[in-house]
Amino acid sequence: MSEIEKNTSEAEVQEIVQTSEDTAVEAAAASAPAKKEKKHRLSYEKRKGLYGYGFIAIWILGTIYFFLLPLVESLIYSFNQTTVQPGGMEMKFIGWDNYVNAFRKDQDYSLALVNMLKNTALKTPLILIFAIFIAIILNQKFHGRTFARAVFFLPVIIATGPVIDIINGNMSTGGYAGGSEQFSTMFEADLVDQLLNFLGIYNISDKLTETINSLTTDIFNLVWNSGIQILLILSALQGISPASKEAAQMEGATSWEFFWKITLPHISPMILASIVYTVVDSFVDPQNEVMTIVLNKSTNWEHGYSAAMAWAYFAIIAVCLAIVCAIVNKFVYYEVD
Amino acid sequence: MATKKEEKEFEKERKAAIKARHKKMKEDGIEKYLTPEQIKYNRRKKAIGTVWPFFRFIILFGLCFIILYPLIFMLSTAFRPNEQMNDPSIVWIPKSFTLSNISDVWKVMNFTDTVINTIILNLIASVLQVITCSLTGYGFARFKFKGKGILFAIVILMIIVPPQITTIPLYMQYAYFKPQWLAKLLTGGETTLINSGWTMYLPAMFANGIKAGLFIFIFRQFFRGLPKELEDAAYLDGCSPLYTYVKIMVPNAKQSFLTVFLFSIVWYWNDYYVSSSFFTKNDTVALMLKNLNTNLTQQLFDGQSVSVRQIIVWLEAGCLLSITPILIMYVFLQRYFIEGIERSGLAN
Repeated sequence: MSEIEKNTSEAEVQEIVQTSEDTAVEAAAASAPAKKEKKHRLSYEKRKGLYGYGFIAIWILGTIYFFLLPLVESLIYSFNQTTVQPGGMEMKFIGWDNYVNAFRKDQDYSLALVNMLKNTALKTPLILIFAIFIAIILNQKFHGRTFARAVFFLPVIIATGPVIDIINGNMSTGGYAGGSEQFSTMFEADLVDQLLNFLGIYNISDKLTETINSLTTDIFNLVWNSGIQILLILSALQGISPASKEAAQMEGATSWEFFWKITLPHISPMILASIVYTVVDSFVDPQNEVMTIVLNKSTNWEHGYSAAMAWAYFAIIAVCLAIVCAIVNKFVYYEVD
Repeated sequence: MATKKEEKEFEKERKAAIKARHKKMKEDGIEKYLTPEQIKYNRRKKAIGTVWPFFRFIILFGLCFIILYPLIFMLSTAFRPNEQMNDPSIVWIPKSFTLSNISDVWKVMNFTDTVINTIILNLIASVLQVITCSLTGYGFARFKFKGKGILFAIVILMIIVPPQITTIPLYMQYAYFKPQWLAKLLTGGETTLINSGWTMYLPAMFANGIKAGLFIFIFRQFFRGLPKELEDAAYLDGCSPLYTYVKIMVPNAKQSFLTVFLFSIVWYWNDYYVSSSFFTKNDTVALMLKNLNTNLTQQLFDGQSVSVRQIIVWLEAGCLLSITPILIMYVFLQRYFIEGIERSGLAN
């Protein structure tokens, strides 16, 4: 009984909302006589806007203190020669010198930077293709799916911590636990070479063979780094309505066609998100070469220099991301607006 | 609404009807009903349907093995006496088991205190972070105000900017925290916040904790996906926005709250960069694990060097100890991780 009442009252409320919206629209359409009502609506919206500020006020305060101020501060460091004194930081303005030094004098830095960019450019598409493939498999129905999903998301939980360093064997004092290395040696048998031979593409060029080999031995890192991406793409796959699949089957589409014509456009926004995530994740990782150099400099108390390196690095990431996003965004298909 | 039992019966009937129809079609000759293309299509689909599960099993099995490999290795070595690391006849299963590695590492890591300390830090920071990030996300999702675009761009910037850039200035801010009376109030007499839990709680309290940008983004996406009518009804009844948020939006967003909370705990648990910058005494599990090698040499081996293959047993035992709590949580709550992400705003 009470539920029916609730339903009707809800319907009424909706009707009221509807009518009030209608009148508002009418008011906007008919100009002069309904001016009063328009004014009222504006003030209501203004009030709502104020509430919006209220909701994000905590974040604004926090961001100014914990994010923007330090960000500006480190930008200032990067133009200064800094020395740490008890009681604060002493700075001497030296202009662009830190930046010039980073690229001109420090040979490791630019080399690491180029390596980093190369690696990321190679790895990102691989991780994406792999993630899409796995997500599609995990989206099918089969026995043990829950277990398989749980296993594939396991890296999300472990891979961000120091455990992965021990597994990978690159703890500070040299590699010994070496799980991934040990694992790679299991695959280092000539299987890959034989496969290449069989396909007739062995020894076409040394570089090609080398690239393929390095990719196959790196399968451990590939699998361990694509947990979040699989999660993102799987969530997008869940959004494809079963109706569209049925319709495609009625029309006689093969799974191949279905993938290119329906699945891919549908998950394209999430692909973009995964690209951004992958790139940012690999750039931000404290384990990568450039970050190691930057952090070493800052533990040597050369804060200004390290800030300059970090900022140059960040600028390059931002430009790369912007270019990639601009290109990929052209192919992204948004269902709503 | 049909009950589950009824639904099962319907399904049975439907299947029986299909079977009967197929039988009739076969008796009449299939060509009568379907065009040659359709027959070909169906045949191919059937062939793929029988072969694919085998391939799928092989692929998944192989990849699951790759993922589980380090864990199996961890289990295999953590309970192995260290002399047996050099025995070439042992690959996976050691000849005898020992708990001494675990107890050694437990002592070196001071595990009981460390775990309690970490859990307290994690829980407080995560709860604060979830509350403030959800408020911010709701503000971005449902209100129109001036400068919203720029402010949201800052959220995106928070995701992209590596924490390494802001750490040193932040350190200075914490070390010489102003106003001084507040620092003294928070830490109970000290003038610096370094080494106190407040270096974690304060940013979390103001929606600027670890990966806060990402969480705000997730909440915003989620709240945008909820129907607007929910709040309009409450507004018409004269509720204030905050009241509406607490009473109507939060209960509807339980799932995404749980997901973000779990991720927040995981990231705080695994974080060693931020905590190592602000703590020198206040130990967390991740920090202890990061320094395990040094601590082992100092405390357990008395400065003597131990062969690199033998030290593996202690390192892996440490790994096992430090992931066990989070692994237990994952085993019990893993469906919330997965379903939560699937249903929460990320799906939009």
